Amino acid sequence: MKVKTGIISFAHLHAYSYARCLQWAEDAELVAVSDADETRGKAAAAALGTAFYSDYNELLKEDIDAVIICNENVHHKEAVIAAAKAGKHVLCEKPIATSVADAWEMINACKDNGVKLQIAFPVRFNPPVRRVKNLIDEGRLGRILAIRGTNRGQNPGGWFVDSALSGGGAVLDHTVHVVDLMRWFMNSEVKEVYAEIDTRFYDLNIDDCGLLMLEFENGVFASHDPSWSRSETFPTWGDVTLEIIGTDGVTKVDAYAQHLHLYSDQKHRYAHEFWGNDMDLGLIQDFISCIVEDREPSVTGIDGLRAMQVALAAYESSAQKKPVSIIRSWGD
Amino acid sequence: MLKVAVIGAGTMGSVHATAYSKMSSAELVGIVDPRREHTAKLASSLGTKSYDTLENLLEANDPDVVDVCVPTYLHRTYVERLARLKKHVICEKPISRTLEDARAMIDTCNKEGVDLYIAQVVRFFPEYKRAHDLLLDGAVGETGTVYAMRGGVFPQGWQDWYANFDRCGTLIVDMMIHDFDFLRWCYGDIERVFAKSMWGRDFQRLDHAMVSLRFKSGVIALCEGTWAHTDGFRTRLEISGKEGIISHDSEEAVAIRSSFRTRSSEAAGVAVPESPLNHDPYYLELEHFIDCIEHGKPPIVSAEDGYQALEISLAALESIQTGKPVEW
Repeated sequence: MKVKTGIISFAHLHAYSYARCLQWAEDAELVAVSDADETRGKAAAAALGTAFYSDYNELLKEDIDAVIICNENVHHKEAVIAAAKAGKHVLCEKPIATSVADAWEMINACKDNGVKLQIAFPVRFNPPVRRVKNLIDEGRLGRILAIRGTNRGQNPGGWFVDSALSGGGAVLDHTVHVVDLMRWFMNSEVKEVYAEIDTRFYDLNIDDCGLLMLEFENGVFASHDPSWSRSETFPTWGDVTLEIIGTDGVTKVDAYAQHLHLYSDQKHRYAHEFWGNDMDLGLIQDFISCIVEDREPSVTGIDGLRAMQVALAAYESSAQKKPVSIIRSWGD
Repeated sequence: MLKVAVIGAGTMGSVHATAYSKMSSAELVGIVDPRREHTAKLASSLGTKSYDTLENLLEANDPDVVDVCVPTYLHRTYVERLARLKKHVICEKPISRTLEDARAMIDTCNKEGVDLYIAQVVRFFPEYKRAHDLLLDGAVGETGTVYAMRGGVFPQGWQDWYANFDRCGTLIVDMMIHDFDFLRWCYGDIERVFAKSMWGRDFQRLDHAMVSLRFKSGVIALCEGTWAHTDGFRTRLEISGKEGIISHDSEEAVAIRSSFRTRSSEAAGVAVPESPLNHDPYYLELEHFIDCIEHGKPPIVSAEDGYQALEISLAALESIQTGKPVEW
């Protein structure tokens, strides 16, 4: 079985990477793309050799099994619900949405229509990160006491810095990956968030830096830095790191440590050249296989919701200058 | 040449005594510690004498300066006694365990007309000094965020005082105060502190802490301290500015990495990282204090700086206890 797939929107640059992964994956086929921005969408369709629709509702009428949704954050909801109603399985770019209510509507729409909803947290498929997950599961670190995470980057610009489209800046953009990993490592939820959030690096009307202090239900405390704080001359786009303090050991994982040093006289800069495994390919293969094998996605809509809630609570904490509890709803 | 005595022959007392023994501007006249055998050995290796009490030292000699390297909770007692004896005092950090003690020490030294220096040594570490100077030169533009880390294994001390909250105040008072002082040096006054640590959870000779600092200038800093590592000691500093990044990791700044074959067939080779300097930061710091005493110069780090760094540590403990941020 080949899973026929479409991509809705190239607003998020990850769409290109996912498209390439779909073309590499043995049991997947990229059939069509859509984009409300015709110029951008037609360029993508030409580059990828697929059909093009400017309206994703037309794409959803095609004979396809699944869609990958990479439009602006605030538009995730309508696209996911439309796909669910059309009976298409969904891989949705992170963050799942920009509000808890929207996320629940999306989760319920997929459930009601019997389609799978996976959230794009590719770092779970990074081999060094998976190795650390195994170390923890094998008990090699003992009991976890504390975790420090970072997911720094540069200002992505465009709609990312327009809160009407993104729903939030650096804190929403760069909190969810690492919080997802922390939750996955420990099978525990964040119960309280404290955050300092500000705009200190760029001339923007949206947050570009912050610091989160987290309390998990299992008694572990953690911090996370989601700032767009990497300067222009930093040797790579950013980072994903976690340092885990356990009773029996300490480990630090850097998802992008597998790189060469490139000293370029042409570009007059020093850069990292990553040579590790492509985590996006792992994500796409997992999504395709959950359809082929008809199993639960390994990263669910609930996972997307929980990670987003932490970022939203961080904004609330920063505004109130005090820790904020995360209240779980819908009895789960 | 000033005559200097050191009280305490533990980890820091040994480091300080060793520094004075090499200094041309100071004469190390004795080391005081009730642990006779250990202290005698240290003293003879440094060409000085050991005494089991301060009284015994004072009977035999008359130092101009006394360096206090006793556990934190005993600082006030010794410093006030020495001030009344008109001795200039150099006191190991943290200045004291409580703000009340710290204020009393500063006031007594002022009243008795003697100098008081607090050994907040990080300002004398070349990598930190260089980072500070680069920052003030505008090398990375305005700072947005900072990460400062230090730590290693849980320390061993006399009567296990590091594990005693009332005596030590956890790694937040004992060790992270270095980064608090350094960041104050760089960014000035604090606006808000929020912190988490193992204190009040299951503090079993395994401590870890994260402290969020917000400066009045807007800078957001994360300080991390650990006594939960399985080996060694390490420091990290990363300053992210609008126009660049300054980054330091003691595990990377290693000039020599040797590996030695062990005799035992069971054990693997032991890796020994080294990063040698002409003078260690402790020497530079103490030489500077001696220079200040001799020539009446203002110190790079004052007793008041020691007081304010302690204020941050205690605010962090308060935040941990209440679960709320502490505002200035």
